[in-house]
Amino acid sequence: MAKPKVAFFDFAGCEGDQLQVANLEEELLTLLGQVEVVAFREVMKEQSDNYDIAFIEGSCTRLQDEERLKQIRKKAKLVVAIGSCATIGGINSLRNDKDLDDVRKTVYGEDARLFDSYAARPIDAVIPVDAYVHGCPITKDEFLSVVKSLLLGKKPDIPTYPVCVECKKNENVCAFERGQYCVGPVTRAGCNSCCVNEGTICWGCRGLVDNPNENSEKEVLIKYGLTVDDAINKFKLYFGWQERKR
Amino acid sequence: MRVISKEDFAEFVNALIKDKSLDVVGVKAKGGKFAFGPLESASELRLDYDVTLLPPKKYFFPQRETLVTYDVATGFAAPKTEGVKPLVIIGVHPYDIVALLHMDEIFKETKSDPYYFEKRNASIIIGINIQNMSKYCFAPQMGCAVIDYGYDLMLTDLGNRYAINIGHAKGEELLNKYAKNVTAALARDIQLVGQKKREILSMSKQKFDFSPELIPELLSKTYEESGFWEKHSEKCLACGSCVLVCPTCYCFDVKDSTDLSLERGERIRTWDGCLLEDFAKIASGENFRPTRPTRYRHRYFKKGKYLYDRFGFISCVGCGRCSSNCLPDIANPVKLFNDMYHETQSLGVIIAPAPEPAVEIQTEGNIDYVPKLATIVKKVPMTANETLFEIKLDDGSELGHKPGQFVEVSVFGIGEAPISVSSSPTKKGTFELCVRKLGNVTTKLHTLKEGDKVGIRGPFGNGFDYEFLKGKDLLFVAGGLGIAPLRSLFNYVLDNREKYGRVILLYGCKEPRELLFSEEMLALAKRDDVEFKPTVNWCPENEVWTGNIGVITTLIPQVSFDPESTYAVICGPPIMYKFVIHDLKGRNLPDDHIILSLERRMKCGVGKCGHCQINQIYVCKDGPVFNYSKIKGVPEAL
Ligand SMILES: Cc1cc2nc3c(=O)[nH]c(=O)nc-3n(C[C@H](O)[C@H](O)[C@H](O)COP(=O)(O)OP(=O)(O)OC[C@H]3O[C@@H](n4cnc5c(N)ncnc54)[C@H](O)[C@@H]3O)c2cc1C
Ligand code: SF4
Ligand code: SF4
Ligand code: SF4
Ligand code: SF4
Ligand code: SF4
Ligand code: FES
Repeated sequence: MAKPKVAFFDFAGCEGDQLQVANLEEELLTLLGQVEVVAFREVMKEQSDNYDIAFIEGSCTRLQDEERLKQIRKKAKLVVAIGSCATIGGINSLRNDKDLDDVRKTVYGEDARLFDSYAARPIDAVIPVDAYVHGCPITKDEFLSVVKSLLLGKKPDIPTYPVCVECKKNENVCAFERGQYCVGPVTRAGCNSCCVNEGTICWGCRGLVDNPNENSEKEVLIKYGLTVDDAINKFKLYFGWQERKR
Repeated sequence: MRVISKEDFAEFVNALIKDKSLDVVGVKAKGGKFAFGPLESASELRLDYDVTLLPPKKYFFPQRETLVTYDVATGFAAPKTEGVKPLVIIGVHPYDIVALLHMDEIFKETKSDPYYFEKRNASIIIGINIQNMSKYCFAPQMGCAVIDYGYDLMLTDLGNRYAINIGHAKGEELLNKYAKNVTAALARDIQLVGQKKREILSMSKQKFDFSPELIPELLSKTYEESGFWEKHSEKCLACGSCVLVCPTCYCFDVKDSTDLSLERGERIRTWDGCLLEDFAKIASGENFRPTRPTRYRHRYFKKGKYLYDRFGFISCVGCGRCSSNCLPDIANPVKLFNDMYHETQSLGVIIAPAPEPAVEIQTEGNIDYVPKLATIVKKVPMTANETLFEIKLDDGSELGHKPGQFVEVSVFGIGEAPISVSSSPTKKGTFELCVRKLGNVTTKLHTLKEGDKVGIRGPFGNGFDYEFLKGKDLLFVAGGLGIAPLRSLFNYVLDNREKYGRVILLYGCKEPRELLFSEEMLALAKRDDVEFKPTVNWCPENEVWTGNIGVITTLIPQVSFDPESTYAVICGPPIMYKFVIHDLKGRNLPDDHIILSLERRMKCGVGKCGHCQINQIYVCKDGPVFNYSKIKGVPEAL
């Protein structure tokens, strides 16, 4: 792909991911030798209608969003979802379980009626997505690796195995052995188990692997001492949309 | 046997650390557990540990390791290393030493892995007899808890001093050079060490209900018990923990990683594991071990049967790491084998010890992971998705392949894929690859132009025994892309036509426009020394087809052959074999007259990475060509 034009779009999310991209500094410069950024709200205001790769951040939370997404899909050769909200529905889908009217009131106050909000969903629930940069927030390294793959004409290498694989290679003491509770066994790897490396747990921000053994993971959580409700909540934090779909 | 006081031992370790020409690692505490790590002082050592998180194999076969570097401008090269410093590893338990000896055998079989042995040969192993045993450890039952081989030095804690057994001259030299006040052991020390060793043998909390020697035979009686494997693997998370922490697991994946220039990068190998979902999945989407039970079963068979048959040892040293790392607690070999034993007993199956396997390990030379640079001299599109590439090695050498062998083709920045050589060895100067666009490498390859560079490793695999086939009648049966490897033999036979008997080619594909080598096929139809029958599964209305319509097996009744003198050579999609073989047997063709070429996921091409395994067989090394009579009993084969 010769110097493709690239556009960034944001939907419901915290824009933490675009910040990550803006923070790429040096790499972004090298990368900008390869790509041309045409619409990037964090860095520039202008929006152009002409782009090859569209990076989309945030989840789709309103019917109006769907129209905008379809427009983007029409114009872009490749659509890349970046960050949990866009790839798996992310934290946004936590609210899917609550009464949507309540959610609207907490978010928009008295104007709630004016906003037509529905269950938060990942981008691929609305339009086909060509590549994913998982994570909440995404990491520079993975963003770069996905962009490199796209520029080389290669399918980005996103693991199909769970975080435990990376965690074992990093020789961490398992969270369960430290009296904590981890959803790494059902979460898609690719982050190099970064949270566990820092002594915490995996919260599941990269979403479920393709064929998770959810029952077994819940059983493990309960065996190690979580209540059934807490085990279910562990799954809700990030897996809300994926679980609903399954 | 020698003796050294603990103070002097600490001095010895500190002296080793001080010598910057050595790397010194040892067992240290890590978050309530233990791990091998670099030592800054002897005081960090925790020789009273029970088990380390990862085994010391990580020093010889690291989690991530560069095999090859590449640069579009200059090609492929071995990674530059500053030379390997001698590595002293302090505090290795006997079971981990045995595991290293297993790894040595595996990494040296057929061809040696230079990256492994470069580091391994520079290592000095200081073992320690077990003081605390992890509750999952069953090394005593596996005969791996106390040993008198495999180490350079072996320590035994005797309270205020260590007894030292010298296993190798390297160990003795180390003592002479760095240790002070080493004395000869007294009779009571020798006695004490003997006593400690006996105590270790009864420390395990795990109990086998039968003799572990029966494991290989027990396994072979349980392979088909799918209910057994389903029940035991129901909770499997496919997390790979059990294999990633295992001191005798050696499977790896290979990936290319490009830098921001998009022109330079590294080819990296990383630990992989057969429990992971995509381990045996190929680009077409087919997964040869698609379910948890099949993958779960493979691990136990690999440890207890396949490697036993190949090397003569059960590839489990009883460290217990798999058991303690499996969250649903289903990876404990003692538990599984006990269940298996009781199940066979309840079925009245008699388990006798397996006969000693006939171990024939040959090793010759080193593996070369660095591809040779080569040029695409001609590119001929054949169908919408298949192209014939004619390739020339840049160093001017001949590929030197046998019909049926394959090469690993590298595309810069993308990776490597195994592709059969499609041309006959009689063709000199260049060779041909017929490639279908499927995944990363094959798709990118299709975008390359004449004059562009690729990398080539190989030829690999056994190939067809074309000498043996001389004088025989040959019945080629090719389905779709299966023609690619067969063509190398077929063209060889045509070039030596008088040396072979009758030649029949049955070739089928889905529809006329998928027909490969169509011009050559047309020419064949005109020859009278070849019987050629093509077929298509269907013919869409807008295409023309005058030949047979129907799957490949519909051609078999249309040819006559003498089962005595005829050998069938078959290659096609996985689904095809069963049907073709069935029909050929129906025509009285003996099993050993059926020759197949098989496909499996591949990474290394040299019998190391584990991906291509069909039960105990490595397709890349033992195949891809197999005599049906030899593999018909191999359950994963067809
Ligand atoms: C002995 C042998 C001979 C073959 N001969 C030919 C041939 O002549 N022509 C042809 O078009 N194809 C052939 N194949 C199949 C070819 O290897 C795969 O289509 C190819 O590896 C796909 O790689 P990819 O990078 O395009 O796909 P991806 O899906 O991106 O695969 C990634 C990697 O997985 C491995 N892999 C995936 N699929 C296969 C597979 N089917 N077999 C082995 N490894 C795989 C490879 O290492 C590959 O690089 C052969 C396979 C084998 C085992
Ligand atoms: S800490 Fe989490 S990711 Fe790591 S091994 Fe344990 S369960 Fe798996
Ligand atoms: S460890 Fe888990 S929560 Fe942390 S980045 Fe990885 S997937 Fe996300
Ligand atoms: S057996 Fe246990 S450790 Fe192994 S993959 Fe399954 S769940 Fe993970
Ligand atoms: S199979 Fe388990 S007990 Fe045996 S060597 Fe491997 S990790 Fe240790
Ligand atoms: S195939 Fe064998 S060596 Fe490879 S991961 Fe599985 S058990 Fe380990
Ligand atoms: S063992 Fe690696 S491809 Fe066969």
